[in-house]
Amino acid sequence: MKTKMLTCLTLLLACGFGLFVFADSHEKEEDMNKLVFSKEKYKTMAVKSGGKISGVVKFDGEVPEMKKLEITKDKAVCGVTDKFDEALVVGEGNVLKNTIVYLMDISQGKDFDKEAKPELDQKNCRFNPHVQIIPVGTALTVLNNDKATHNVHIFGTSKNNTSVNKQQTKNRKKMRLTGAKGAEGPVEVKCDIHGWMKAWVAYVPHPYFAVTNEKGEFTLEDVPPGEYKLGYWHEACGTNNKEPVTVTVAAGGEVKQDFTLKLKEAK
Amino acid sequence: MRSKNVVYLILILGLLSVLNLTYAQDAPEVSEKGKEVYEESCAHCHGTEGRGDGSAAENLLPKPRDFTRGLYKIRSTESGQLPTDQDLFDIITEGMPGSSMPGWETSLSANDRWEVVAYIKTFYDGFKESETPPRQISLEGKIPYSEESVEIGKGLYTQFACFECHGQVGRGDGTSAPTLQDEWGFQSWPANLAQGWNFRGGNDIDDIYKRFIGGIAGSAMPMFEDPAFGLTIEQSIRYNELDNKVEMTEAEEEEYNQLDEKMGNAFEILDLMAEGSANEEQKQSYATAMKAFYEKSWHLANYVKSLSSEKRPEPAIGKNVLRSQYTESDLPQMMDAAWNTLDSSYFPLVGQIIIEPRQFNPTIDSVNAKSFYNDTEVAFLFTWDDRTNNTEVEENEDTGKTFEDAIAIQFPVKIPKGPTAEKPYFLWGGRKAVYLWQWKASAVDKITELTAKGINNAEEQEVQGNIEAKGEYTDGQYRLWVKRTLKTDDKKDLQLEPGVFVPIAFSAWDGANGDVGTKRVISSWYSFVLEPVPSSRRFIYPPLVALLSFGLLVGLREFVRQRNT
Ligand code: HEC
Ligand code: HEC
Repeated sequence: MKTKMLTCLTLLLACGFGLFVFADSHEKEEDMNKLVFSKEKYKTMAVKSGGKISGVVKFDGEVPEMKKLEITKDKAVCGVTDKFDEALVVGEGNVLKNTIVYLMDISQGKDFDKEAKPELDQKNCRFNPHVQIIPVGTALTVLNNDKATHNVHIFGTSKNNTSVNKQQTKNRKKMRLTGAKGAEGPVEVKCDIHGWMKAWVAYVPHPYFAVTNEKGEFTLEDVPPGEYKLGYWHEACGTNNKEPVTVTVAAGGEVKQDFTLKLKEAK
Repeated sequence: MRSKNVVYLILILGLLSVLNLTYAQDAPEVSEKGKEVYEESCAHCHGTEGRGDGSAAENLLPKPRDFTRGLYKIRSTESGQLPTDQDLFDIITEGMPGSSMPGWETSLSANDRWEVVAYIKTFYDGFKESETPPRQISLEGKIPYSEESVEIGKGLYTQFACFECHGQVGRGDGTSAPTLQDEWGFQSWPANLAQGWNFRGGNDIDDIYKRFIGGIAGSAMPMFEDPAFGLTIEQSIRYNELDNKVEMTEAEEEEYNQLDEKMGNAFEILDLMAEGSANEEQKQSYATAMKAFYEKSWHLANYVKSLSSEKRPEPAIGKNVLRSQYTESDLPQMMDAAWNTLDSSYFPLVGQIIIEPRQFNPTIDSVNAKSFYNDTEVAFLFTWDDRTNNTEVEENEDTGKTFEDAIAIQFPVKIPKGPTAEKPYFLWGGRKAVYLWQWKASAVDKITELTAKGINNAEEQEVQGNIEAKGEYTDGQYRLWVKRTLKTDDKKDLQLEPGVFVPIAFSAWDGANGDVGTKRVISSWYSFVLEPVPSSRRFIYPPLVALLSFGLLVGLREFVRQRNT
């Protein structure tokens, strides 16, 4: 009898869950391209004898030739350098640049580097860097080093309406942009005037984030000892939200964790 | 045992339905009436879940709004704010000209429109979460419309770099136009400022001003920050003047640097304001600079207003029918000033949606025409706006396949006798043939005579003669001059005679919008007449012709509308 009851209950729960999942399936698909954060609000604390997580991100698959971007206007300013589509930058040894690697479930740890002032440069009609992280609520300083008018269009996400789209004429060398209220995770940045100019900024609630360099390397430092889920995000390769890697950091220890990414499946 | 199983099953089902109920109650308050109206009238475009993905959405551009993102283009509220209920109500009432969003003033009661406003708000949680009502844009300090203000606005149009997208004279033909996309990644053409009747949010000066100050959320059009922030209007103009000089004198250099520094300081303060760390004095100079910015925006709005007629021009029927003017001398060439003495007749165009492949999202609004004739010849000047000059078929990874721009001017081969006589089918004829002049952007001085008996059944005439053409593309506009003898020896040609009303119709192709073959924009039959010389006025203007073509136009419009919805 008891077992019957149990079976029924499980069934019931499963059905209920199924319903829930069904209703939410749209959301879930979008979630696959987002960053995952702990539900708890992040608390800062002094981290003593923290550990370190480092590794190399590589690309698995045939490396397509980088597409050269067509410069359709302002050639005198924009045309002086060749520009390439930076959605997938693979270096020697198949190392992958511009991957965000981070701790998904941390809710306590060090504070942000308060001195850091995130900057996005526009020179010869290219955004630099292509991917960067910005503490939630921190302003982004956008530089215009071109004798040309740009517009900085920071897209909204489905969770917040306020995309930001501001013009920066050639007179305005420096402009500070606070991200959209409640912005979270990676959002696209575009200059509509020069349609090929694209970059990403990720608004993040804690400092345990790294972006891989030309060698595909990342390092997360001062990690309080414990077990964490390690996630990644890449513009062209997506995320590992479905199967994050678990790492255990010992006091003062160092953990190595490499990743190998494949292109997102075309929709 | 078995009966117990049944009981469990019932229990499960019961519980499930309870679960279902609680789930529904968790969802935002739903007005039953609003939902009903929405599903009946809006869902096929905006989608049952408000994602802008209804069954009709696939063929539409711009796409129906995705209500789940809370991004609204037409607001009376400041940048980054949600629209007010009144904003939503107004846009639903009036519709969005230049897009497929219809106005519902006549087909839904005011009450139903309010209900549906409440319902579409449930698609986006932000409406529930915002504690304070959205901040409205203040219209204080409005600068009344005047020639002087328009002139100042014209200078600011360049300084604010509007031309990057909207083009030098505002026809939406800026160099950035072909690559613009909205936040959903769909092609987004900048507005043609010379056709204010197609503005989504109306073309009152106040409307235009609100679009600058509040932005057009989700579109490529950026928010404006004063590019010469901190400078007065006079200083801005001076700064621009100096900035464009190839060489400056020492005194000018100094003046320039001073202005530059003033601006630099003002921008610094702007950033401090954004961070909330400005002191009293800085706040004061910020307020002064903002006041100048609002003034500049009013001048700019006045300038935009000056570029377009108040309303869509009256179509070329009745008193606006195209009347070719008699002249004793030679007919004017394409660029002659004589053309400026005539008013143009306006021929509205609509997407061709009767025969596959169709055009649901036309980008060419209309053709304008003027005409002169003398004893032996007739000349026409046709103009139409097109944001891009496409002279060949091109395959582009970002903007898709584009085709060649073109136009065809259509007449019957034989003029129907009397106003009630049957005309050939308006889509390039049928049983009765039509006579066409076809012109393509790749060969600007060439015009080809065609005979057609159906949209897919046209032939070049063997005899091409007695006809000349010259075409040109500048600043987002095509200009086509055509001259032909009144009479020809070719039986397949139209023969002209003063005082006789001649049916005329148009097809046009915007290659950048994928127009090719039957995918094009068209007009119904209109008519033109070689206006008889006043002294020998023998002909009575037949009002029936006008009435008839009006009827046809209304019919076509209605047809198009029904197809669209
Ligand atoms: C034929 C398709 C169609 C139907 C039917 C339709 N819409 Fe739309 N609607 C659109 C399109 C297309 C747009 C976007 C136009 C644009 O972005 O320029 C739009 C935009 C809107 C907007 C956004 C306004 C803004 O400021 O951004 C609202 C609100 C709206 N529709 C409400 C409704 C309601 C309510 C109904 C039903 C009563 C409805 N629509 C029916 C096509 C449609
Ligand atoms: C980066 C390109 C870009 C720039 C720069 C730009 N616009 Fe626009 N503008 C657009 C686009 C795209 C639209 C169409 C928006 C839509 O309906 O989706 C538009 C629409 C408009 C409209 C029509 C609004 C309506 O109700 O439909 C006006 C008026 C306008 N722009 C004026 C200006 C003026 C004046 C400037 C300079 C101060 C300017 N724009 C600069 C891209 C631009």
